[in-house]
Amino acid sequence: MKATGLNQDLLRAAVEEFPADEFSAARSSAVAKLAGVGFPTVGDEDWKYTNLGLAAEISNGWLKTIIANHGAIADQSNSEQVAMICQEIDAHWIIIQNGIIASDSLAELDGQAGSGISLSKLEFADKDDADDDAMSLFNVALLRDGLRITARANATTDKPIGILLADSPSSAVTQTRIVIDVGDNAHLRVVEYNLSVDPGRQFTNSVVQANLASGATVDHVRIQNRADDHVGVNKVTVNLDRDASYNHNSFDLGGALTRNDVITKIAGKGAAVNLNGLYLATGTQHIDNHTSILHLVGPSTSEEEYRGILAGSSQCVFNGKVIVSPGADGTDSRQSNHNLLLSDRAEIDTKPELEIYADDVKCAHGATVGQLDETALFYLRTRGLGMDEARKMITRAFAAGTLSTLAVTECQDHLAKVLDQRLENLIGDGQ
Amino acid sequence: MLEVKNLKASIVGKEILSGLNLSVAAGEVHAIMGPNGSGKSTLAQVIAGQTDYEVTDGSVEFLGKDLLELETEERAREGIFLGFQYPVEIPGVNNAYLLKAAVNAKRKHHGLSEIDAFEFLKLAREKMAMLGMDQSFLNRGVNEGFSGGEKKRNEILQMAMLEPLLAILDETDSGLDIDALKAVANGVNSLRDPERAIVLVTHYQRLLDYIEPDYVHVLSGGRIVRSGDKSLALELEERGYEWVREAANA
Repeated sequence: MKATGLNQDLLRAAVEEFPADEFSAARSSAVAKLAGVGFPTVGDEDWKYTNLGLAAEISNGWLKTIIANHGAIADQSNSEQVAMICQEIDAHWIIIQNGIIASDSLAELDGQAGSGISLSKLEFADKDDADDDAMSLFNVALLRDGLRITARANATTDKPIGILLADSPSSAVTQTRIVIDVGDNAHLRVVEYNLSVDPGRQFTNSVVQANLASGATVDHVRIQNRADDHVGVNKVTVNLDRDASYNHNSFDLGGALTRNDVITKIAGKGAAVNLNGLYLATGTQHIDNHTSILHLVGPSTSEEEYRGILAGSSQCVFNGKVIVSPGADGTDSRQSNHNLLLSDRAEIDTKPELEIYADDVKCAHGATVGQLDETALFYLRTRGLGMDEARKMITRAFAAGTLSTLAVTECQDHLAKVLDQRLENLIGDGQ
Repeated sequence: MLEVKNLKASIVGKEILSGLNLSVAAGEVHAIMGPNGSGKSTLAQVIAGQTDYEVTDGSVEFLGKDLLELETEERAREGIFLGFQYPVEIPGVNNAYLLKAAVNAKRKHHGLSEIDAFEFLKLAREKMAMLGMDQSFLNRGVNEGFSGGEKKRNEILQMAMLEPLLAILDETDSGLDIDALKAVANGVNSLRDPERAIVLVTHYQRLLDYIEPDYVHVLSGGRIVRSGDKSLALELEERGYEWVREAANA
């Protein structure tokens, strides 16, 4: 396969056509930094299994359209799915359509989401953009809007804040950027929903940055239920100060190709990171979860469990890196990745990585790959359950394990419903 | 009810059952005894429909139907229950959920509506009390982290809920302390019924002190080599299996 790269000339020309706004300088600077770098390729160790050729192809096509239309980007309207999700998950919802915050949703919510919580448009003049990896730069290079959530010290929310990324191929390439600042001992609960409101080819690239001050807690549930043709690259970066905790649950259900990076840095004693993920893939779906937990100081804890169910000819990747820095004594880290393969054509590439540079640490990691247990299937059938029902019961139980750690319980019912629908498809496609 | 004729079965080419005959009528309790490796568990598994075994000859009829033609789940819905020697742990599948699904699968097969949730719970609690099982077992994963005794009680609970016509209990007494053995025997005895047959597969005579069989069969080399009443079990206890083996070969 010939790899398609991002066309830098098109990128430069398209960005020049963008109407001037508060992001102009940041965009130009990112375009310049990206020159000569381009999208990662399978030659990069971190992207060994995930080919962004399709993302580059979609991007190049879209950039040409932007140039032809002198910077005009098609907008899209609301959908029934959006209304349904907002109704089924009780949250203060902010709708972001193709990277642009729906104008009414911010004004309505600011000050309403809880005392000490403010929601605003992102101003880029600050130092939020420290990351200079290619996809983060690409995000800034085409940035048109962004969201900032600020929780003052001791702030809490009555309901979670819902961020609905309602993307549509009316704009084939979309950048979303969200910055979350949480003050001392504040507690913020966030549901991030990645949705395709229309079918069709689209490439979305999102960046979420969260900074947790001392004693702060963020519960972050991410639900990805994209359309079949969707290509998504998502990066979450989290910095934790003393006694802060970050609890992440991700659910990847749809999309043609999805790459998630969750990068956490523990910079204060007593901080805790909990990462939980579930990925369900069938057909030719590709889902790649890369996580990194950096223990800069100890004592601190991290716990991670990702589970995958793979059917059809799907391919998934799990790469979980835990780094314990010199002097980070008292680090306690546990990591696991479990996979259930419903088809012999499905593939999982799993790699837990531990790098330990401190002496007094407790670290455990492990990965399993298995098929449905024949003995368990027989057992259920001797109780009168049909083969399909037995398969479904065991598969559902495997998936349900990830719901028990759900940090934002308001999502529970909706998730149980969409997981069930998705599992039906997987089991149907299984063999 | 159950007619096994000249049954031969093998696993990976090795013959385990070599022409077994067994006839069980409604209302009867049969004990099948025999040394390790004689084919006791194989017989139970073949009747339940385990496809790891290949039936090479003979027939098995259940209520006049050719059992070997039916899928495992169809056999269960028709009224056959296998109590496992090693009940399977299924993490995450709620015990109550499985019980209810099993009861409903059978009811559906017989053209009945699904069991009412309240009715189900009432019934389950009643049976659990009889078996000395704590109610909390309903909300635990199927056999997940259960002790040996708890697993066997759970098998009997499933049997009591499903009210089978033919219950085959494979080494249900193994690994039980005396209290658990009594509870399990009590559960089995409560299901003795003129309409129901029970086949106990066991290595030791001990269980038969608590569940009195009408017939005792000795299995050796994949065939029933001797049949009798409960006194045969006592004789075996006294003289060991070697005696039967020698008698069979003579």
